[in-house]
Amino acid sequence: MAIAVLTDVVKRYEGKLTVDHVNMTIEEGEIFGLLGPNGAGKSTTISMICGLLKIDGGDILIDGLPVSSKSLEVKKRIGLVPEELALYDTMTAADNVTFFGRLYGLRGKLLKERVDEALAFTGLSDRAKEKPSTFSGGMKRRLNIACAIMHRPKLIIMDEPTVGIDPQSRNHILESVKELNRLGSTIIYTSHYMEEVAAICDRVAIMDKGHIIACGTEKELRERVAKEEKIVIKAANITPELVQELTLHPRIRRVEAKDEVVELYLPSSQGELQDILFIFAKHKGIIGSLNIEEPDLETLFLNLTGRTLRD
Amino acid sequence: MNTWTIMIYELRRLFSSRSMILNMFLLPLLLIFLLGASLSGVVGDKGSTTIDVVRVAVVNLSGEGYESSAMMDSFLKSTELKDIITPVMVGSREAAESGLRTGKYGYAVVVPPGFDSKVQSGEAAQLEFILGQKSTDNRVAGTVFDNFLRNLNYKQSVAMTLGPEALNVMAPSSTSNEPSVKLGELSEGGYSYTSSQFYAVSMMLMFLLYSGLTVCTSLFNEKENHTLFRINSMPVKGSELFIGKMLGVGVVSIVQCAAIIILTNVLFGVNWGNRPGLLLLFCLLMIVASMTLSIVISMFSKTGASARSVVTVLTVSMTFISGGMAPLPESWVNSIGAFTINHWAMQAILKMMLHADVSQIMPNLGVLSLICLVLFSAAAISYRKVGYHG
Repeated sequence: MAIAVLTDVVKRYEGKLTVDHVNMTIEEGEIFGLLGPNGAGKSTTISMICGLLKIDGGDILIDGLPVSSKSLEVKKRIGLVPEELALYDTMTAADNVTFFGRLYGLRGKLLKERVDEALAFTGLSDRAKEKPSTFSGGMKRRLNIACAIMHRPKLIIMDEPTVGIDPQSRNHILESVKELNRLGSTIIYTSHYMEEVAAICDRVAIMDKGHIIACGTEKELRERVAKEEKIVIKAANITPELVQELTLHPRIRRVEAKDEVVELYLPSSQGELQDILFIFAKHKGIIGSLNIEEPDLETLFLNLTGRTLRD
Repeated sequence: MNTWTIMIYELRRLFSSRSMILNMFLLPLLLIFLLGASLSGVVGDKGSTTIDVVRVAVVNLSGEGYESSAMMDSFLKSTELKDIITPVMVGSREAAESGLRTGKYGYAVVVPPGFDSKVQSGEAAQLEFILGQKSTDNRVAGTVFDNFLRNLNYKQSVAMTLGPEALNVMAPSSTSNEPSVKLGELSEGGYSYTSSQFYAVSMMLMFLLYSGLTVCTSLFNEKENHTLFRINSMPVKGSELFIGKMLGVGVVSIVQCAAIIILTNVLFGVNWGNRPGLLLLFCLLMIVASMTLSIVISMFSKTGASARSVVTVLTVSMTFISGGMAPLPESWVNSIGAFTINHWAMQAILKMMLHADVSQIMPNLGVLSLICLVLFSAAAISYRKVGYHG
């Protein structure tokens, strides 16, 4: 059963389309990744799903309810973890969670139980009485999550929840996401970190310039670029002439040279490796290492847009 | 229910801020104490002063073919003067001066020869005054004779421009037993306010206007902390959030107001008058005016800093123009000052301190209520137009 259905969703800012006829269905119980570079329209799409922005065209249904007319009902079913930390520095961690819990309608014993549960889930029980101003970046991120999950929402939306934190906290958050999913919540996870999305998401939609340019499981997406291989060569003495000759090779689709690394995209390395090595030898390029890599989501994005996710 | 929750947490956040406690509660008390103590000579007085009857030496000169002034004699015999001055006829200027030096007389007036005929022929009426040792005596006696001269010159100009008949027309009023000036008291109880009272009112009103700063801070902090974005994603109506926050700030302002009134009364003996209900009403109206004005400013400001700057400038300017920082000329206070919010509350509360009649306070209540209504409407329209979003 679908928990979120987006049909021809449109959003305009000053006459410009920032979300352009987006269609997307998110099934109950899955972790759905929304991948795209900054400015792709991910946050705008999420804001519309949460009822924070007016939808200019199309329709969004959450748990069968239209966001545009049943906004308050929809909001009860959603827990949003915003990209920016949204916490009160003057209140303790427990007070922060309690305040937001009250706004979700929790009261009394149930509220206390849920606050304790959320703090325990994010590993902050022992810091409950401390103010976020004394927390590390990772702990603040975890508290940011605790404030969004204490009401056990059906749909949790996490907007870039790992921005600017250490690897340990990042792993903790990624594990938490999987655990929340195991406990029954559907997760929409946005990021421009391809590895994160690939690691935890069941399905991924790739967004660029307001469009969904690809959507499916990681396997399905990989298959779309399976016909292409990437050869990464680390070498010394990479001259412009060497790069030029590689570019002119009829079987090589694209060449990217940066410092002492050359990346080559071609349908198959078989049969072409000899030519490549010959060109390097001809221009006195000294090869240190050579790897043939399988295509990933980054490759797919590059393939579809001609740009990298972090451009 | 959400409104209540938001209000309670707003209060908790505000009262947990040390700087806010300092600014809202200690600073006004300190200012009232310092200004009240240091400027006690500038504002009001500390009690009623009895003015003694002044002995005035009158030198009514004759000579050069003229008799002594009958007009002066007649004036000095009027009964209205007996409680103010005691005229003593003296033969010469030297005798008057000698009496002034010894303190026998408090003031002296020399009537030049031919005073009456000069007045009747249309020349300006002039007397010579010799000041005594006490400034109060000089002021009292000087006022009496100034009035005498002014009255003569007025009648003279009437006769010259309208003809002698005009004086006959004026005669009944001047000869009537009814005094032309009705003496009374500005305040019914005959009270006067002290500098501490004056500054307690002006500072309290200034700090109530400053509660607008709390409104700006509260509204913009929520945006800058991104908590507004989170709350907007929750099942909370925009109006619940906004009203909850404003109620929180309003309650803090009421507590601040009550603290200033009670503490200034206990610590500095400030008497806030005999109408606590009306005092409370004026304070509430000031809080409403200040908060709604700040809402309008916040709605159209891009940053919290710019909104706070505008509110601060307006608060200080209005306090100054209304005469709240230092007493300004009456004409200034009643003309330009009338365009400020605190003018209406300040004048009303000062009247309450003077135990004035309610009828003297009601016009201020009317104007302040009207200001609140206009500002409230402006705030409601701005909120509907701009909204409050993260």
